[in-house]
Amino acid sequence: MNLLKKTIKVFAPPPNWRVYVFTTLGVLFGLLLVVFRISNASSYLSDDPVVCMNCHVMTPQFATWQKSSHARVATCNDCHVPQDNFVRKYLFKARDGMRHATIFTLRLEPEVIHIKDAGAGVVQENCIRCHYQFINTSSLVSVTKKQSEHDNGKLCWECHRETPHGRVNSLSSFPFARVPQLTPVMPEWLDKFIQSETKKLK
Amino acid sequence: MKKIQQIISEKPWMAYVFFSATVIVVFLIGLFGASVIERRSEAVQRFQIVKPIAEWEPRNEVWGENFPREFESYYKTSETTFASKYGGSADRDMLTQNPNLVVLWAGYAFSKDYNQGRGHFWAIKDIRKTLRTNAPQPATCWTCKSTDVPRLMKEMGVANFYKKGWNDLGEQVVNVIGCQDCHDPQSMNLRITRPALIEAFKDQGKDISKASHQEMRSLVCAQCHVEYYFKGKTEKYLTFPWQNGFTVEAMEKYYDEVEHVDFVHALSKTPILKAQHPDYEVAQFGIHVERGVACADCHMPYKSEGGVKFTDHHIQSPLNNVSRSCQVCHRESEVTLIKNVNDRQDKITEMQLTAENVLVKAHLEAKTAWDKGAVEEEMKSVLKLIRQAQWRWDYVAASHGGSFHAPVECARVLGSSIQKAQEARIELSKILTKLGVHTPITMPDISTKEKAQKFIGLDMLKLKADKQVFISTDVPVWDKKAAERQSKMK
Repeated sequence: MNLLKKTIKVFAPPPNWRVYVFTTLGVLFGLLLVVFRISNASSYLSDDPVVCMNCHVMTPQFATWQKSSHARVATCNDCHVPQDNFVRKYLFKARDGMRHATIFTLRLEPEVIHIKDAGAGVVQENCIRCHYQFINTSSLVSVTKKQSEHDNGKLCWECHRETPHGRVNSLSSFPFARVPQLTPVMPEWLDKFIQSETKKLK
Repeated sequence: MKKIQQIISEKPWMAYVFFSATVIVVFLIGLFGASVIERRSEAVQRFQIVKPIAEWEPRNEVWGENFPREFESYYKTSETTFASKYGGSADRDMLTQNPNLVVLWAGYAFSKDYNQGRGHFWAIKDIRKTLRTNAPQPATCWTCKSTDVPRLMKEMGVANFYKKGWNDLGEQVVNVIGCQDCHDPQSMNLRITRPALIEAFKDQGKDISKASHQEMRSLVCAQCHVEYYFKGKTEKYLTFPWQNGFTVEAMEKYYDEVEHVDFVHALSKTPILKAQHPDYEVAQFGIHVERGVACADCHMPYKSEGGVKFTDHHIQSPLNNVSRSCQVCHRESEVTLIKNVNDRQDKITEMQLTAENVLVKAHLEAKTAWDKGAVEEEMKSVLKLIRQAQWRWDYVAASHGGSFHAPVECARVLGSSIQKAQEARIELSKILTKLGVHTPITMPDISTKEKAQKFIGLDMLKLKADKQVFISTDVPVWDKKAAERQSKMK
């Protein structure tokens, strides 16, 4: 409690400034809320594959997944996020998400997205997690990304190369893929109003 | 630590530092927000149409200018080279293959002419060519044949469209099944353009606009590949009998309630229900649909060409495309997979042929009974049984691919068809004995299509000659008028 009081004292503006300072802080907080809303931030906590379509550079991945046999049983997160424990799952999601957000905002995304090492390790874990009973050679059950780097076992998709995204994956390879669109940021009436205004201008 | 007020009162310039810092933070957040919005609008613009397509544009070629790959693959529905064991897109005369059908449909246009459906590309040519359209038909028959239909329905109203005669709209309906039937011209999203399916959903208390993308990948097909009838003597309103469900019994209950009769059998005088093609309905009872597989998953799989991946719009039998349909999920060899399909179809077909043989006998025995002076009262229960048996047989026989889509359901339905037809024959043998006829009756020679058609009294030469006149006089006029009209379209 003491510490809290002290902090408030340190940052508290002089009485005659308070109105201005709180207004400014309100603006700042409001802006943050706007960004939270337009970036659909809360959706990132879910496992719905549509969330990955928040950013349109994932179109090839979504479209190929949707037309694969995996679409019936597995979501993006089932393979691409650790599923062994809650803490690891959300830590990984947070780290991955921050990197994605940064790259997307800075427009650094490549034409063809390749999986990073950390991601590859997780996918390998998840292949085994589900297909455990189908892997007859017991030595293959324990193959990890690390081991494969030391030439001690192969990763699943070094042979199963088409699973599930196929081998054509560049951004321009999917010109007309029907993928879910983001819901409008604005309320419906406002969206309609703006559309009618733009029509008038035309 | 000092208070901020204190810092500022000691060094007034620090106030500017705090001020600038806040400005920078707000500025960056604003920039970030703007960037998010910008990237979101990119997602919408990602899909750009070079040559905008008008609402209700019927010409597939016009759509094709924007979507060359989809269009070219769609155009392959013109291929008639592939025949699987029981289906495919090859020209196949079903009556020649199975003359029993002629007798089963005696008194109905299907006994004149019935061919295997070829690809969508042939929809207009084939409906003009079939002998079934010799007799006057309602415009409702056009509903599933052309992209011109939604345009006409918009212009003249749905009910008015159905009320027209088939010949009246010949010059209006010229573009074959295509883009417009399933796609929105602005967004290319899947959409339903035929009112009958939307109405059928309503009848079941469901809202079709709530369908997911995966469901839509089947529902666009279900606009046409379903069981239907024309409601009303003059209205001819296209209606799906779905109110009670998709099973053969549920639809029969519906038809019995509305007292629907497709035709009265020429030999046995049975009020027959003719099944159309309950492809979608039968598929619902199969394992693939139960596991969430859509029609498009097997009939229009994803395809890559060079560096581009897209949906193959060559809608066809998956058996001509096993590697991209079955093998996406099933890791067996092509030979094995085709064998698995054929095995199921062989068994169902065996039952289907048994049902046909029994039904033909029942019709002929009923005819003998009438000829020998049977009265309506005693024949009533027999005719009911024949109606039920033939409806059950037809539900399976008319459902394209049903013997693979849902073999267990088909076997169940055919089983009850055979049982009901045999029950009818037991009743008949009692009646015949009473009338002094000793079964078995002598069977006529119906071993070929020609013999069977002669037996039921069809004048095939005249029918074919009439058709020839129609094809060489009316059709060219239709095409000429249509070409003139379309040349004025933007």
